[in-house]
Amino acid sequence: MNEITHSAPYFSSNTRKIPGSLAIWAAILAEMSEFAIMFIVYFLAKVHNPEIFAQGPLRLSTLAGASNTLIMLTSSFFVVRAVIAMRENKPVACTRWLWGAVISGGLYLIIKYFEYSWNTAQGLETETNIFYAVYYYITFNHFLHVGWGSVAIIWVIHRVNTGIYIQSEHEGLLSIAVYWHMIDLAWITIFPLLYVIR
Amino acid sequence: MTHIKLINNLWLLLVILTLFSTYMAEQSTPGLGSVSIMALVLAIKGRIIVDYFMELKDSHVVLRTLMQVYFYVIPALIILVYMFPEKIAEWTVL
Repeated sequence: MNEITHSAPYFSSNTRKIPGSLAIWAAILAEMSEFAIMFIVYFLAKVHNPEIFAQGPLRLSTLAGASNTLIMLTSSFFVVRAVIAMRENKPVACTRWLWGAVISGGLYLIIKYFEYSWNTAQGLETETNIFYAVYYYITFNHFLHVGWGSVAIIWVIHRVNTGIYIQSEHEGLLSIAVYWHMIDLAWITIFPLLYVIR
Repeated sequence: MTHIKLINNLWLLLVILTLFSTYMAEQSTPGLGSVSIMALVLAIKGRIIVDYFMELKDSHVVLRTLMQVYFYVIPALIILVYMFPEKIAEWTVL
């Protein structure tokens, strides 16, 4: 029965249960701290350069930022549905949901690539001013997370297909799921800070 | 409500909140009201993902608390930085 602990539906109170592995949570907390430092840098740069930070978001593509927010939220939803499918012993459905997340990650990266190209065409580069330096530093860092997170999901799909992750034991799937949600959380914070709030 | 239905509805709510805050930011002039609403939307979205997508709602109390606090602190900082930029700038001069 212990093996089933990881696959049992949540929302039954257990104050010691950890979704995924302890190791992935060490990584998640480290990465959330890293993003927190970047957000503090953003806030400090903003209070010291209010005019530049008031103008900065106006020249970014809100459409690209909003589209990527919707894509990240949807990819997170796909990952949740993949976990539910695994718990219901539906590995084929699980991999289909996971492919949905991978495609979403790919779409995110493509939009980001075009957004960077568009910025460059407008003359918005890291040296333009401190707002764009902060923007590129934070968003490129996040871009890398989406890239390697997508590769990690492909790895999980391979392990589901080869029967390594099954209904009674799929901690690795849960670990990647919570890691992907962390990447989503970082983006939903980045979006208002850099694209919306002036 | 089944678990799947709950997750589907929460995804829909996240999408609506994103569209609402983006539309509001585009339409309104920046002010404390609109900044507060954007901070509140961020807090709600973060809480939904932490509680239901990461499934920390009834899981490990330390992890849940750390993740939930994150989405109180960042929205609070957004509002504080908007309200007191000069004071914070004054305190953070090297």
